[in-house]
Amino acid sequence: MKTSTTVKMTTSTKILITLFFISFLCTSTINAQKVEVKGVVKGKTEEKAEPLNGVNIYLKDKSVYTSSNRKGEFTFPKTLNVGDVIYFSYLGYLKQKVTITKNTTNLTIVLKEDDNEMLGAVGTNKRFSSKRKGQ
Amino acid sequence: MQKAFFLLFVLFTTHCFSQKTDFKHINFAKADRIASTIKSKRLFNLNKLTLDLTKNLDTDIEKVRAIYKWICINIASDFKLYSKNERKRKKYKKDSIKLAEWNSELKRDLFSKLLKRKKTICTGYAYLFKAMCDVVDIESKMVYGFGRTVDVTEFDPNYPNHTWNAFKINNKWYLCDATWAAGISYPDENRFIFKYNDGYFLTEPELFIKNHFPIQKEFSLLGDKMPTFQEFIEMPLLYGGAYTYLNKYIAPKKMYHSLQKGETFNFNYVFKKEIDPKNLKLVFVSGVSEKTYNPFISQKNDTTILRYTFNKAGYFDVHLYYKEDIIATYIFEIKKDNQN
Repeated sequence: MKTSTTVKMTTSTKILITLFFISFLCTSTINAQKVEVKGVVKGKTEEKAEPLNGVNIYLKDKSVYTSSNRKGEFTFPKTLNVGDVIYFSYLGYLKQKVTITKNTTNLTIVLKEDDNEMLGAVGTNKRFSSKRKGQ
Repeated sequence: MQKAFFLLFVLFTTHCFSQKTDFKHINFAKADRIASTIKSKRLFNLNKLTLDLTKNLDTDIEKVRAIYKWICINIASDFKLYSKNERKRKKYKKDSIKLAEWNSELKRDLFSKLLKRKKTICTGYAYLFKAMCDVVDIESKMVYGFGRTVDVTEFDPNYPNHTWNAFKINNKWYLCDATWAAGISYPDENRFIFKYNDGYFLTEPELFIKNHFPIQKEFSLLGDKMPTFQEFIEMPLLYGGAYTYLNKYIAPKKMYHSLQKGETFNFNYVFKKEIDPKNLKLVFVSGVSEKTYNPFISQKNDTTILRYTFNKAGYFDVHLYYKEDIIATYIFEIKKDNQN
């Protein structure tokens, strides 16, 4: 029967595999400068900087994300590694990214207002009517 | 050599295909269903909302569709803000500092309303569309320009009034306008009603240009066929109905026509398949009098030709209707035989 074809491991392979996994553990402990990131996000307009409610804060692949509260405060839901990049985005403001270092535990982010003009022609069904003298 | 030919072939064919037919193998029903089931009272968690809308869709065009459709059926047009903005922009037209201050104040107001109450004006629609496309890494742009509606048939070339979007899929740009697709505003009653018009998504650039003149010419997607601004302001006035019923707009290319009494005039359009030309009518308005005429209708390949002989002198607004929906407006000045 085909199911009986289990792989017989020699002792040396076993040792190799174990070593492989151990090496993995080692490297991750070396890199594991876990940083807990929290802070406050503000938005800067022409006059003043105010806390922003509901800023999207996320890792590039968007696998982990959170948003700021009414006071602009947030705590990133996962401890991050040194070198990770988190993004801050909010409608009407320019996106900002921050690279995590050992010291990025308490962030104050000030987003800049996006420079765009606000226009708006609405869609109506109002029928055109010529404006002529005598009408 | 063969490779070069192949490349040429690919370039040529991709260029040839029009906007909608590029995706005719894709059914938007799934994207539309997702868009209609996902609710979000506020827009604070835009990433989550966008990912929820798109995570079960395989192709980029379906993702764009779900985002677009969601915006169209959830974001209301804020007429109050629109008219306030129009007033202020006119007032500060010559004062760039005051205008910048107003713009900044408006932006705060606008984005806060969009986030909390899902109401906005067209730049807000276009901005939101772009922001959501960014979340799923689909390239898109806000296109600024001139939107031609009943209220704005006279333009100041220094004063753009509308914003819409272009997005890029498989290296090709496509057009959409969520503001006008979302519904209809009743300016006099200060009211907005959601009424989705599918004609503003993947619209043929030749039709889109009839009331969307971009400041950045390349976003007309017409290449060197882009009309001049003067040609644009002389075009007929098209309504939402044109986008609902037309595949292509052919002629007449102008709004105003001066004819002699007794002359016959042709109107040429390519209607969508499901349209029965029998329901087309021309409504003549002169002063307070309004009369409906049935034009002579013929078909040549896919083009529908409406023919009408003007037997009465006068100055008429001529509206093309399909059933109860207005499609286009023209102006005809019909002169008596000996008049110049």
